[in-house]
Amino acid sequence: MFSNKISSKTPRRFLFLFEILALLLLFIHQKDNFDKQTFINGFALIVIIYASNYILLKVSRGDNYIFLIATMLVSIGAIMIYRMDAKTGTRQLMWLFLSILIFYATYFMLKYIKIWDKLLYVYIGGAYLLFGLTFALGERKFGAINWINIKGVSLQPAEITKLLVIFIMAAYYSNYNKYKKTKYSSYLILGIMYSFIALLFLQRDLGMAVLMYGIYIGLQFIYEEDRKLIAYNIGLFIISGIIGYFAFNHVRVRVETWLNPWIYINDKGYQITQSLFAIAEGGFFGKGIGLGFPHFIPLAYNDFIFSAICEEMGIFTGMGIIMLFMILVYRGFKIGMSQWNMFFRILAIGISILFAIQSIIIIGGVIKLIPLTGITLPFVSYGGSSIVTSFMALGILQAASEDMDWQVNDDE
Amino acid sequence: MMNKNNNRVKENKRIIVVLACLCTMLVVLIGYLSYFQVFKAQEVKNNAYNKRTWINEENVLRGSILDRNGNVLVYNKKTEDSNKRYYKYGRLYSHVIGYSYREYGKTGLELKYNNALLDISDSTALNDLKSLILPTSIGNDLKLTIDHNLQEKSRSLLEGKKGAIVAMNPKTGEVYSMVSMPDFDTSNLNDHWKGITESEDSPLLNRATQGLYAPGSVFKVITTVAALDTPALDNEYKCSGTAKIDGYTFKDYSSRGHGNITLEDALRLSCNTYYVDRVQYIGKDRLGSTADKFMINSKIDFDLPMKSSSFPYKKSLSKTELSASAIGQGEVLVTPLNMAMVASAIANDGQMVKPILVKEIVSKNNRILESYSTEVISDVTSSIKANQIKDMMLKVVESGTGTNAKIKNVKVAGKTGTAENPSGKSHSWFIGFAPYDDPKIAIAVILEEEGVTGGTGAAPIARDIFIHGLNNIDF
Repeated sequence: MFSNKISSKTPRRFLFLFEILALLLLFIHQKDNFDKQTFINGFALIVIIYASNYILLKVSRGDNYIFLIATMLVSIGAIMIYRMDAKTGTRQLMWLFLSILIFYATYFMLKYIKIWDKLLYVYIGGAYLLFGLTFALGERKFGAINWINIKGVSLQPAEITKLLVIFIMAAYYSNYNKYKKTKYSSYLILGIMYSFIALLFLQRDLGMAVLMYGIYIGLQFIYEEDRKLIAYNIGLFIISGIIGYFAFNHVRVRVETWLNPWIYINDKGYQITQSLFAIAEGGFFGKGIGLGFPHFIPLAYNDFIFSAICEEMGIFTGMGIIMLFMILVYRGFKIGMSQWNMFFRILAIGISILFAIQSIIIIGGVIKLIPLTGITLPFVSYGGSSIVTSFMALGILQAASEDMDWQVNDDE
Repeated sequence: MMNKNNNRVKENKRIIVVLACLCTMLVVLIGYLSYFQVFKAQEVKNNAYNKRTWINEENVLRGSILDRNGNVLVYNKKTEDSNKRYYKYGRLYSHVIGYSYREYGKTGLELKYNNALLDISDSTALNDLKSLILPTSIGNDLKLTIDHNLQEKSRSLLEGKKGAIVAMNPKTGEVYSMVSMPDFDTSNLNDHWKGITESEDSPLLNRATQGLYAPGSVFKVITTVAALDTPALDNEYKCSGTAKIDGYTFKDYSSRGHGNITLEDALRLSCNTYYVDRVQYIGKDRLGSTADKFMINSKIDFDLPMKSSSFPYKKSLSKTELSASAIGQGEVLVTPLNMAMVASAIANDGQMVKPILVKEIVSKNNRILESYSTEVISDVTSSIKANQIKDMMLKVVESGTGTNAKIKNVKVAGKTGTAENPSGKSHSWFIGFAPYDDPKIAIAVILEEEGVTGGTGAAPIARDIFIHGLNNIDF
């Protein structure tokens, strides 16, 4: 008998199958200098992902699919990173392990600590503190000052700030009736958000600036009662974009290399053209794992991981990744809409917007559909802070997918 | 409570709007990715800066290029740490074979036959699998239709001048020599690149296929075909040295006038006034459609990049403009290869064949992978009319303007041209074929801004090529 309901075991088994196949290809690719380490790492990847999916099913009564989707994305990314550089791949595996722990920690903290919606000022203060920290300790990496280095571990504070933006919005709008009594409170939020965006401009972290703006405008569009503020917001963004274009050379460069990168192929258009070569060479089905030259792309396991994947696994896998994000975003919105607790509702939608906009910005950038602004591809790219915060956001989404047994007085 | 529910409905509506926007953007990403892969990828891949093609190349011994007699013109030599390409005759084939340099990309046959030279098959699943199991390391050779000796002779005749020579077989389309001057040394581009790109004489331009010139009187061959096609055209005309069309006076080269002449005399003596007068009866549409049959105005399929010749007769032409066109002035522009094909078509009973440069692609174990055969691309005119024109062109060389192309023992047919152009110094043209009875070589010679007539400048060069070619080529 066919059951209408697909057991949650089925996708988990598909994921398992995918990993086995991909790892086999990886082993074939490395057959000449095969080492035990690769085998152990591959085994570790499968165990971590299979086990964490299994455990989640036992602890959470919420959504079963978002974690599966995220682990699928991680698997594609980790295997690609491992294929390009075994050492980086091993580190990514360690980050993944840590991230999953953080995922569970976030999940339980959100579920059992019940003051999150009352901390608006803490979130705002925290965000400014992180900016201050970046400017004080930051180092310039890939043209942007957005990294701080603590005891050899590079962190990107803005990764946390983007989550704080969601928390600020959620805390503000879930207590809207309270804050509304203060005149111009929504304008104050607008001012705060634009101060973040301006600071990110100064750090040359354009991708993050666009991402935060996307989250802000999305949530504002849904929850703001003063509708003309939304029009102001859009107008203001266009104006600051134009000012940014003329004021900052690094913004102009992005636009020029988007319009025609081929004439700057030796200098500022180098990254994007190498990315396009990789995607073009990959064709529909890719060159095969180990048979392409993804290391020709600068930052291939970071911002340009999508192009590297397209070269070796084809744009079919690329489209698959985009569709995985689409399902993830859809599930996130569904979680939001069925959540009765307003604070968690906004969190869920904010995080879904985060995943959507971040993937659109970077995938659109590396395929030259929109100007390229550096940002990581959630779950897929290498990078400690990126993968940790992505799983942190997922943990929040997981918590929001459950019935909350505590109520916020959102309708006083 | 009611109010709260209303709020939820409104909220959910807005949430769906946001979700729809985000999903649309994601779908656009998928759409663009497919569009890029289908329409843009090939061009992107072929970019000279794509390092991947060079990675493959470094492992492959790129195929050699040989002339029709098997003389090696270009070859690769692989040593422990290098895989270098040697252009034995750097300047001689700069426009035909072109070059393949990592720094400057690829041109000419090196570009067109890149995949054959590297033995890269079209990417199919089966071929990909094959190349995984049996990686190729030796490319295929190209055997050209070019005759190395005639190529050298042609270049020596153009040495120090600007212009182009095309010599081809009028029946098979095989190109025996193709030279464009000035040229450049492909064997050592690194040292000369700057000079080559900055030179005002544009040495990179292949004048034979991409130079557009006013044809001058060689175009009269085409006008003559149109005249034969015109019913009840009065063959006789009294030439006084000048003809007035719509207030503009056309002059003959010698202003004394040719007296009472026929069409045959008009071509033989290259009488301008005859044609500028008679073309008014022929009409622009008949002249235009005849030109179309000679592949003026159309893209000629060739192994090297071609510019299309043009005679824009479909737009409105004044009487004066039509008359100017009839004698190859005005708005008519042609490529030298196209004019060699015009001569070929007349020589080949009115059948124009496709010019070919590559005879065969030969694999490393001497298997012929592909051979290119003759293909008729245009029925220009009937064989009767073609033979009439042939006779007229024979007279041009025997007793007309082209006597400098005459050879003892071999009958040569041809037509001279002296084309006025904005530079003030006229181009010197000759097109023709030999031997008259059984044409084996058709030719077009142009000396750019030479300042002499076709009969003095280009005709003797054509003669020397006929002599050399007919004596040496193994037809």
